[in-house]
Amino acid sequence: MNLKKYFIRALHRLQKGPGYTYKELLVWYCDNTNTHGPKRIIKEGPKKKLIWFFLTLLFASLVFWQWGILINTYLSYNVTSSLSIGFKTMKFPAVTVCNANPFKYSEVKHLLKELDRLIEAALERILQPTPGNSSENASPPLDLGLWHQIPLVLIDEHDKDNPIILDIFESNQADGDNQAAGGNQTAAGNQTAGGNQMAAGNETAAGNETAAGNETACSHPGSDNCTYRNFTSAAQAVTEWYILQSTSILAKVPLQERIRMGYQAEDMILACLYGAEPCNYKNFTQIYHPDHGNCYIFNWGMDEEALNSSNPGAEFGLKLILDISQQDYIPYLSSAAGARLMLHQQKSFPFLKDQGIYAMAGTETSIGVLVDELERMGYPYSDCTMNGSDVPVKNLYSQYNTSYSIQACLRSCFQNHMVEICGCGHYMFPLPEGVNYCNNEDNPGWAYCYSSLRSSIRHRQICIDSCKETCNDTQYKMTISMADWPSEASEDWIFHILSYERDMSTNVTLDRNGIIKLNIYFQEYNYRTISESAATTIVWLLSSLGGQFGFWMGGSVLCLIEFGEIIIDSLWITVINVISWCKGLKQKRVQARYPDAPPTVSELVEAHTNLGFQHEDAGALPGDEALPPEPGTPPPNYDSLRVQPLDVLSPDSDVE
Amino acid sequence: GATAPGKKITARLKRTLPVRGPQAPTLSELMRWYCLNTNTHGCRRIVVSRGRLRRFIWILLTLSAVGLILWQCAELLMNYYSASVSVTVQFQKLPFPAVTICNINPYKYSSMKDYLSELDKETKKALETFYGFSEGKSKVRRSVDERNSTGSDFFKQIPLLKFEDFSKTVIDLRSGQKRKIEGSVFHKDSSIVNSGDSNDIIGFQLCDANNSSECALYTFSSGVNAIQEWYKLHYMNIMAQIPLETKEKLSYSADDLLLTCFFDGLSCDKRHFTRFHHPLHGNCYTFNSGENGTILSTSTGGSEYGLQVVLFIDEADYNPFLVTSTGAKIIVHDQNEYPFIEDIGTEIETAAATSIGMHFTRSRKLSKPYSDCTETGADIPVENLYNKSYSLQICLHSCFQKAMVDSCGCAQYAQPLPAGAEYCNYKKNPNWMYCYYRLHEKFVKEQLGCQQICKDACSFKEWALTTSIAQWPSTVSEDWMLRVLSWDKGQKINKKLNKTDLANLMVFYKDLNERFISENPANTLVILLSNFGGQLGLWMSCSVVCVIEIVEVFFIDSLSIVMRRQWQKAKKWWNDRKRDRSGKPPQAGDLERQGHDNPVCIDEDLPTFNTALRLPLPQDNPLPRTPPPNYSTLRLETAFTEQLPDTLEVGQH
Repeated sequence: MNLKKYFIRALHRLQKGPGYTYKELLVWYCDNTNTHGPKRIIKEGPKKKLIWFFLTLLFASLVFWQWGILINTYLSYNVTSSLSIGFKTMKFPAVTVCNANPFKYSEVKHLLKELDRLIEAALERILQPTPGNSSENASPPLDLGLWHQIPLVLIDEHDKDNPIILDIFESNQADGDNQAAGGNQTAAGNQTAGGNQMAAGNETAAGNETAAGNETACSHPGSDNCTYRNFTSAAQAVTEWYILQSTSILAKVPLQERIRMGYQAEDMILACLYGAEPCNYKNFTQIYHPDHGNCYIFNWGMDEEALNSSNPGAEFGLKLILDISQQDYIPYLSSAAGARLMLHQQKSFPFLKDQGIYAMAGTETSIGVLVDELERMGYPYSDCTMNGSDVPVKNLYSQYNTSYSIQACLRSCFQNHMVEICGCGHYMFPLPEGVNYCNNEDNPGWAYCYSSLRSSIRHRQICIDSCKETCNDTQYKMTISMADWPSEASEDWIFHILSYERDMSTNVTLDRNGIIKLNIYFQEYNYRTISESAATTIVWLLSSLGGQFGFWMGGSVLCLIEFGEIIIDSLWITVINVISWCKGLKQKRVQARYPDAPPTVSELVEAHTNLGFQHEDAGALPGDEALPPEPGTPPPNYDSLRVQPLDVLSPDSDVE
Repeated sequence: GATAPGKKITARLKRTLPVRGPQAPTLSELMRWYCLNTNTHGCRRIVVSRGRLRRFIWILLTLSAVGLILWQCAELLMNYYSASVSVTVQFQKLPFPAVTICNINPYKYSSMKDYLSELDKETKKALETFYGFSEGKSKVRRSVDERNSTGSDFFKQIPLLKFEDFSKTVIDLRSGQKRKIEGSVFHKDSSIVNSGDSNDIIGFQLCDANNSSECALYTFSSGVNAIQEWYKLHYMNIMAQIPLETKEKLSYSADDLLLTCFFDGLSCDKRHFTRFHHPLHGNCYTFNSGENGTILSTSTGGSEYGLQVVLFIDEADYNPFLVTSTGAKIIVHDQNEYPFIEDIGTEIETAAATSIGMHFTRSRKLSKPYSDCTETGADIPVENLYNKSYSLQICLHSCFQKAMVDSCGCAQYAQPLPAGAEYCNYKKNPNWMYCYYRLHEKFVKEQLGCQQICKDACSFKEWALTTSIAQWPSTVSEDWMLRVLSWDKGQKINKKLNKTDLANLMVFYKDLNERFISENPANTLVILLSNFGGQLGLWMSCSVVCVIEIVEVFFIDSLSIVMRRQWQKAKKWWNDRKRDRSGKPPQAGDLERQGHDNPVCIDEDLPTFNTALRLPLPQDNPLPRTPPPNYSTLRLETAFTEQLPDTLEVGQH
């Protein structure tokens, strides 16, 4: 009972609307709303009313249109960038130094001996085609098994339709019609002819050329599934071939052995000075890099705090003296000599092939550093990843404890494909668990598989699509300058001291071809940070929405609430109408006792001017004659639906 | 009878007219009406406030709010054309840029000797005269005896001169005679005016051929500069007379320059290169020029996936006077850009591997009205002489060339030819050098107006290069490398190559991140309007509706009131005049029917539901007839009870 009473009261309170017909309601709304347009519709004369009506409609539609644009703008998540430049105390970048040559030749000679002899003999045949000059063949027989895996061939394309393929060694079974001894002869002869033709300069532009070097890779020895990798230059062909072969050989060597064969820190890093503090090779973290053997990273920040640098200039930077001992280079593996170095962030893996620079032997290389940072906002503003956890590629470089980078992702992606397709991992990239590196014995077809995978655009695209760049992109902009070092006057004593310190010998064990000085320091402006901020925030959106609404109609959120209220009221009116209609129908059916006429204008005026619609304080005036009727009086017939009696029912009257 | 239809028409017009005249009969009433009924906030308080001070404060506040609105809105309007910068980084497959490679020496010296022997002889003679040393050890022997007198008179015309001191006495190279010269002195090296050891000063004189008294003297602090500049002057003169086909033959062929080529893990050859003849650098070769419609792209960063070439620099065949350094020059540019190799090329050392890591940045500026840049260059009044897309450099060069053709009558050798012009040479345009130097000086001093006409391009691509050098070939690989490369070169060179004749070049993307820096309009119309709305709303709770109100009240209504008053005055004056003439008594009704009593002011419509419902209008309170009650004026009821008869009155009309 109590509940019902409460419910009825709540219903009544809700029902207390500003009018009992739609028209009343609308008029009341227009008159009392805080938006500017509707008031004018009511206030003006009939002609102006029309104008105002259309103006209000126009403004309302404008508001909605512009709101649409604003919300669209907000949802496009634009960003604005701010740039700051200056000097501040910053973490000194991690500096990775490597030798361009991965292993000491003296250490790996026993592994590569066969290969070297093979390539020497092959070069001999290519360069000196006269058959009489085969005295070197008297030396121990060549390991042609290695050769047959991936033979080097000469392709003569003078006759475009049927190019002649010549194996450099006699033991060529693939082309039966080419006699072995004569084959070499022919190769040379054609080469000569080609040369002449080129010299004459009357060759037709396309196709009529000599593919000088070539390598063949077959999926299985003896199978027909072969590809030729064409090179126009023999130097390129020999280098690529050698890398492929040595990769296969070195892949079998365990990691510890490979580290031992590389350059040791104490041999390579002769002197080190950071700011005013001396440092030595022990401050460097060793890392094995498949391209460059042992690399040493200064200030990697893995175990200890990263060093800060708070002063610009070479005096406060890192000064290194390196020895790359060029005499011990593997002759066919790397033709460029120098140190490879790279500046990178702490705890990131150095990808020297991508970002590394060379330092030349016999020079002093000064590198001024500007840290170029780009700080981006993640999803949904830009499609980048904060730490790589949302990238669907397994990061193989996480075994180094390094952070995610796009290079790591691409390489991991490639290695994963390689493992998937070829069944073994490539030597240049880290291994997933339970997989071995490819080598010729265990995976005879790997070179074919690798080269087809490498040239596959589709696989590259898959990797590009699945990897995401990091949100914080830091680059080290380097200003590189070089000078000869040591000078001729100082050469002597510098070599003496450095040799003594390294080898405890009084003889000079160093020379100009191996020694490198490096200065790495912050420039006067050491950072340039571009940081993103959202161009459109929710505050911006709200103020813009408010601005638009205010500009066209002078409205606010409260106006929207008013409007909502009116809609609720109109719903109520509908409900009431329906109820009354139903009642009326019932009553009509029972007896047409109250044949009510529709309300006249004056009645409506009365309804409007009724105290129930006036302000509260107006009703509360003392000594007012127009007090509401006594609570006991039954409501008049027509007014039963009106606010007034219901209002009287409000809490203070406990009659019922 | 005749006036009746006219009246009918006016009545009808009045009925159908949308506007029924002002809201109030007089201006002050109108203002009052406005203040009470307006949607803006301040105005109402002026009228409603009691007390003079309070009212005054509200007037002040309202006015300052209006002032603030105007100020802020003006500020908003002024800042409308501002741009915000956004930087996006996209990781993607990147198009590889065009890489143009030139030998520093433009033409093979051995094949040029027919053209240059005379000049060389002259240069050597100058060296001998001034510095007293005999012929330098030139690597390629030239026939000294060959006396070709075609150009000698020309050399006489512009000889090298040695200055005794600043008394303008010079020693002529040819005759050895001292003579006085006149003319203004130009120093090519700016800060040399320490005339202590002026004996060392060497220079040359350029005279106007038509008017020999007008001469310009160019002096140099160092003989090296003087001789090079002088040589270049004559060299350009000679080269201008040689047709392009011959010049292309005299320069290096692709086979000469390129030994090996490797791109993206695959071998490439000279077919991937496009020849491009540069007037100062001879034949240059552009890799990936996009000429056959395809532009190569890289999908992997790193040195092994970029372009790797070994260049053959034939050091022995260098011109000893024209170029004094050895190596190659490369420039990384967009396929549509013209390679200004002499301006922004990177030099490549021989016997070294130069590794160039690229980082790609694309920038885009907003054109007018945000900044003064040009999208296509079509709006620049300078004809683009280059067959490439617009850039500031192209514009400046074209502008200079145009000025050159206009004032000297021939075109400068280093830049492309405009239509109908030809390159300057001494035989046809004996005056051109003087003219050129004068013009060039003007150009540098920005007197030609080129710098003002030319605008920068709105979008540009930039490849930031990180260059580093390693020794190549390494000492242990030198032997086999040189042998194999010699074999690659073929039979043309029988000897083994020297490593100082070779340069290894690697150009690659460091990463595939493309940085795109773009300017975006900071404001759109929508945002501007919202900001207006915000300002209007903040200070006065105003909107466009208020603006319309203001227009309505302050312009239309006020104007109509003023007009009406004027009209009535005029009418009165007219009536008075007429009455004065006729002596009729004045008609009282004419004048008094104003304001609410004026039928024009009042709606003639029947009282509808809405008019009946119209809430009491407060402005009706201070009707002159009834003095306002003391306190209750502000009450609604009182207003209402008073109002009712009034409404009825209106209804009676």
